[in-house]
Amino acid sequence: MKTINKTKIVKSTPLLALFFLFATTFMVQSCADLDPDLTEFASPPGSYLSLDDMNSGIIGVYGQVTLAARMTTFYAPAWAGDDMTTHRALNKADFREFDQRAVQSSNNRLLRNWNAIYDAVNAINGVLARSEGLIDAEGINQDVLQIQLGEAYFLRGLLFNQLARVHGRIALPLTQVPPPDISRSSLEEVYTQIESDFLAAEQRLPEVYPGTLPGAPRPNKGSAKAFLARLYMDWGGFPIKDNSKYALAASTAKDVIDNAGTYGFGLVDDLEDLWTVAGRFNQESLFTIAYCKGCPDNSLANRKFSRLGLPADLGGWNETFAEIKFFEDFPEGARKEATYRTDLDYTQFNAQKSPVFKKITGPIGDLNPRDFLTERNDFLMRYAEILLIYAEASGLSGNVTADSWEALNKIRRRAAGLPFDTPDSSVDVITGDIADLAFTERKWEFAGEYVRWFDLVRREKVAEVLGVRDDVAGPIPEHNPIIGSLETSNYLAPIPADAVDRNPNLAN
Amino acid sequence: MKKRIKELIRKCFLSGLFLLFMGIQYSYAQQTISGVVTDENNQPVPGANIVIKGTTNGTQTDFDGNFNITAAASDVLVISYLGYATKSITIGNQTTINVQLVEDASQLEEVVVIGYGTSKKSDVTGAVAQVTAKSFENQPLTRVEDALQGRAAGVTVAGSGQPGAGMKVRIRGVNSITGSNEPLVVVDGVFGGDLRTINPNNIQSMEVLKDASALAIYGSRGSNGVILVTTKKGSGKAKISIDQFVSFSTVNKRLETLSSAQFAQLENDDFIADPVNDPADAPYTTAEIADFEANPIRYQDLIFQTGITNNTQVSVSGGSDDGVRYFVSGNYIDQTGTQITSKYNRYSFRSNLSKKFNDKFSLAANVTLSREIVTNNQDAFGGGDGSGILRAITWDPTAPVRDSEGNYILRSPREVANNNYNPIRRLELSNDEETTDRLNLTLNAKYNFSDNFSYTLIGSIATQNQSDESYRVEGDFDATGFNNFGYRNFNNTFYQVSNILNWNKEFGKNNFDVTGVYEVQGDRGVTNGYNASDILQTSLYLADETTAENFFNNGNVKSIQSYLGRVQYNYDNFVYLTGSLRIDESSKFTKGNRTGYFPSGALAFNFANKPFIQDSEVFSALKIRTGWGQVGNENIAVGAGDPQRVRNLGAYFGGERLNGDRDTQVGNPDLVWETTTQANVGLDFGFLNNRISGSIDYFNKDTDDLLLRILVPNTRFDKYINAGSVNNRGIDFSLSAGIVQNDNFSWNATFNLSKIKNKVTKLNDPEIDEIQGTVQGIGGAGIFLNSIKIGEPIGSFRGYEYLGTWKTTDNIPVDSDGSPLYQPGDAKFGLDENNNLEFRTLGSGLPEITFGFNNTFTYKNWDLNMFWNGSLGFEVYNQVTGTITGNGGNRSNLSPTVYDSWTPDNETDIPRRFTANVLNSSRWVEKGDFVRLSNLRLGYTFNEGLIKGVSSLQLYASAANLVLITNYSGYDPEVSSTVRSSGNRANPDAGAGIDTGAYPNPTTGTLGLKVTF
Repeated sequence: MKTINKTKIVKSTPLLALFFLFATTFMVQSCADLDPDLTEFASPPGSYLSLDDMNSGIIGVYGQVTLAARMTTFYAPAWAGDDMTTHRALNKADFREFDQRAVQSSNNRLLRNWNAIYDAVNAINGVLARSEGLIDAEGINQDVLQIQLGEAYFLRGLLFNQLARVHGRIALPLTQVPPPDISRSSLEEVYTQIESDFLAAEQRLPEVYPGTLPGAPRPNKGSAKAFLARLYMDWGGFPIKDNSKYALAASTAKDVIDNAGTYGFGLVDDLEDLWTVAGRFNQESLFTIAYCKGCPDNSLANRKFSRLGLPADLGGWNETFAEIKFFEDFPEGARKEATYRTDLDYTQFNAQKSPVFKKITGPIGDLNPRDFLTERNDFLMRYAEILLIYAEASGLSGNVTADSWEALNKIRRRAAGLPFDTPDSSVDVITGDIADLAFTERKWEFAGEYVRWFDLVRREKVAEVLGVRDDVAGPIPEHNPIIGSLETSNYLAPIPADAVDRNPNLAN
Repeated sequence: MKKRIKELIRKCFLSGLFLLFMGIQYSYAQQTISGVVTDENNQPVPGANIVIKGTTNGTQTDFDGNFNITAAASDVLVISYLGYATKSITIGNQTTINVQLVEDASQLEEVVVIGYGTSKKSDVTGAVAQVTAKSFENQPLTRVEDALQGRAAGVTVAGSGQPGAGMKVRIRGVNSITGSNEPLVVVDGVFGGDLRTINPNNIQSMEVLKDASALAIYGSRGSNGVILVTTKKGSGKAKISIDQFVSFSTVNKRLETLSSAQFAQLENDDFIADPVNDPADAPYTTAEIADFEANPIRYQDLIFQTGITNNTQVSVSGGSDDGVRYFVSGNYIDQTGTQITSKYNRYSFRSNLSKKFNDKFSLAANVTLSREIVTNNQDAFGGGDGSGILRAITWDPTAPVRDSEGNYILRSPREVANNNYNPIRRLELSNDEETTDRLNLTLNAKYNFSDNFSYTLIGSIATQNQSDESYRVEGDFDATGFNNFGYRNFNNTFYQVSNILNWNKEFGKNNFDVTGVYEVQGDRGVTNGYNASDILQTSLYLADETTAENFFNNGNVKSIQSYLGRVQYNYDNFVYLTGSLRIDESSKFTKGNRTGYFPSGALAFNFANKPFIQDSEVFSALKIRTGWGQVGNENIAVGAGDPQRVRNLGAYFGGERLNGDRDTQVGNPDLVWETTTQANVGLDFGFLNNRISGSIDYFNKDTDDLLLRILVPNTRFDKYINAGSVNNRGIDFSLSAGIVQNDNFSWNATFNLSKIKNKVTKLNDPEIDEIQGTVQGIGGAGIFLNSIKIGEPIGSFRGYEYLGTWKTTDNIPVDSDGSPLYQPGDAKFGLDENNNLEFRTLGSGLPEITFGFNNTFTYKNWDLNMFWNGSLGFEVYNQVTGTITGNGGNRSNLSPTVYDSWTPDNETDIPRRFTANVLNSSRWVEKGDFVRLSNLRLGYTFNEGLIKGVSSLQLYASAANLVLITNYSGYDPEVSSTVRSSGNRANPDAGAGIDTGAYPNPTTGTLGLKVTF
């Protein structure tokens, strides 16, 4: 009896098993979720729905700008100026190519700067596109939105301007993902785009950015006007040489000067205060990129100062040195003391007998000489420059006024260690070619601030100045002699070969 | 979510359990039969199968050939053993049955695992290479990958000296440089195995599926080939095996750099050459240089050490009459690397249990547990300026590790050579520990509805828990950025459920085998962690004392659902036909694009039973195989269809740092499966009763809609695209021979050779003929070193063609003002027609020929194994020599070529000193061809009975990587550098042949013993 039952079970097993098989199949069917919810892990970027989104985007843009600017790479072309040089050997060949006027399209700093600037520009274009839906949208504070849009335009103008100063004709991507075969725009188009960005910024930015420290770490209307003024100076000179822009430069600079109090701008009394940690937020900076020490991974630290300016004799990196003739010619006085470490006898260095910039190393005891990560800020433009743009542009546009002379004299007084607001006949000038006087004043005032080379370019003074750069009076010659051409054909840097390989249209 | 997975597992296994209970049935208990199975020499045959005819009920003989089986008088016992003629005996009234088996060469049938089933070797229609335990048990191995090397044609293996690091196993070339080209590893039917975690001693056999007709059954997962791993099962009398070895590893080669004295002298010469310097101030005194001459400082000696490996494994295995088979093993490896402070430990445990309940139902449960700890992996450290080894090679040779007071010398005192901090101090003070725990559970239930029809359920769950505890001292305690703390935890849960129905039947001479499968699998991985820096604490767990912390997390989830069917037919064991179709649906693709169809077909003729073979004295086997099929690849990141963003460094305006984000990826919802269509023609042959046997295969693989991660032009955004087509074609050849077979002496040899040609044949965007790769060079250079270019192998080296130097007599090109673009002595690179620098293809790291030659000699109790392997026809992009010559983090030229630099008086082809040294140039491309004596081993097996209770005792000594014949100037041309792509560690194929300071393969000597009780 039992056996029969068993047999039955055995015989019916296949059917039963089949049943369970289908049951299993049916059940496990629900095991595979082919449309998992990935928003658990990441929220893909899309159009902004709130000001929080916008804020996160614009802060991210600042992050990209900081990433582009935090290393000397951002300013490597400025090594071509007669104010600064680098070590004659070691791994400084990229800087030497600029210094010696033999820049190759394989120059690594050139490429990295190109890439970093376009990364930031692409990020800005992303923010501009995604925020379109917020404009005039209900429940969105338009005042806040417009200010942040103003920042985006300001930063884009700034970055295009920086790159155009190096390469002349550049590509002008205005969408987050540029066309793959984008080509370079004409010089006119480039300068017009930069102008339009700064104008758009000026329209939207407030007189003072609420809740910020001095020095416009977030730009205001005055910052935008100041960079416009600088743009017009560039525009009036090489390579476009549209002289009509000098009048605009003068009037725009004058506008900033006249409203300096409104924007919170002005000169500091003592130049020595500017290049210190304590003085890193100051009213003289018209736009500051601020750096942080102790922020995560030290990614927001400034990598251009302290060790970089010291010779190996003092544990330094031998990167940013001052040039000898420039140093020797530098007028004695408070400004020279604020510019150089005159306490150091450079002729005794063994690593390289080159003077040291105090602007880079900071005064004794201010920065840790073993640090290359610092919290010193970058002043992308100082109020002193606006005064000198005004003076120079007045001269170049033939509209010199007492105010023009006063602007120049303020700088001369402070340079001599005198109160800048008090006329002093021992230093004041009121006659002569104010354009040339202001140009020369800029030479000393902005030494080591990555400005001089671009001045030489726009005023086509490269051959004149660099031709005698190496004519040093003393026993120690300049270390990296000029080997390349000083003609205008060699003013602008080539487009990086790697960028051209990726997009051959950039060669055109 | 955890709940959901639990729920899912519960559901999925429920049905399996039902089957389990269903299968427990009564058996027809009648009487117990016992006996001994012996061979012609009256030696016991262990492991012979005794099966009751018409059932699957049976047992195996124990080590002494004994068996017990319960059967009825009317039953017929079928006794079989590999290589012997099968015997059938009717029981009748006997209770003791002793059987003598007779050898039968024609019965030497090997079983091959083919995926979702097994097949007799003679029946296989696809290109399948089998590596059994027998072929590698004579080599002391800690890694399964080593067992594959040179033993299977078409399989290339490239290692790294880094203990515990992944090895590169590639089958028939590479298709992709974005996704991994790692073959799919299927362990006992479960996907996603990791070869490095498997104890080689646990492996019964490995089958490498190479052609599409074999692979298509794995559909979307099969494009890189499949390695099927079958682990051991116990049988017979309980057996305890102990295997112990100790190895000593060294890196003997030293790269040529300036010695301490040479470097000091050169610095002095340079100093004095500058007239402004007072020779009295020269950096080094004559006495110092003399001292360097006598006692040179060699950082290559300081960073390398003799690594020691201790490997112990114990296994217990056996089987019992009631159908239980067990194999339990434990393994412990304690390894110190050849780079100071690097270590690797692995503890692993495996338990394979199975029980056959009756004819119908059997159940197996495999459990594996492992823990791996990797300490101070050089890739865990900052690598932007090259690896730690590269830093040591280029560190100031005049600065010792410690000063006279015993304090570390942090930086080069004169700020020369490498500008990073002392590489020895970094390793000695840091502790980076990556601990990986894995738990795998696999349940395999099989139910036979009848002799011809079965259902198998495989359910598996695997978890991986990896935590990286990192304390890294990267800098100066007196400056900013001196140390980094980090913790990262990665947790992954994988599940798989496979339902396999199989039906097979003979109709006269027609044999059918039909398989149907429904399968789901998926996984979910999450990462959490934080970084902190600059804390004056040495413990990771004090990281909360900083304000500079940075936390991160991410995760992904994915799944695949598959249906597949396969029909195998043969007529009279002569004509074989196989057809299969797999349908995969992957969550990685968008709805309309997610279903992939992967068909295959194969036809084979086996002439083994034909008279011209049967009657031939010479020919003993001949089979012709042809196959065609398609496989797919879904190797893209989860979320490739969507745009992605991450939190970036944010911004600081004074006060608090603010958070911001940046886009990292442009979404591509139109992505489709990458499809590889492969055709294969093969021939298997045997001579002299298969004393000489081999096979030759020709294959052609076309990969279309290649999945590639690119940088969107003019941006740094990643994007996955279907880029184009790649062709791999070649020949696999293998030959085995028993060259000498005497009573006392034998010589067996196996030779494998693969020839492969890889070429990009098409890019889907008709506007372009090249896509730049994403492998970054050393020193933060923004240039990428590889590219995908039509007509060239995938991942070819990209850079400038080095043509020596510009000479004063050269016609140097000029700019529009007539000023020369180059100075005499500048490096001369290939220019285009407008005199602009031109990027060219400089070589490829993919070998055209790889081969292995394995010889085993036995003489009485001695055995000698010699294994050679090699690769030919490839280049290495030697970024190491480039960096030694001065670039990036290395500020000085440490290469002896510095003495030959161009001067106006001696216009050599070595560029003028202090010009920019470009790493992405053909100056640093070298031939990589090599031949290596991979293993040399001498063993002695003691006669049985020497020690009571010990059934086998073997002692051996071996040497790995003893001879390396190559012209390559680096440590080892078989480089497996961890290159960087988009700032992250990239997969190894991305940088095939690019040497950025790889951890070299050491030379290793081993002493070991194997005992079985």
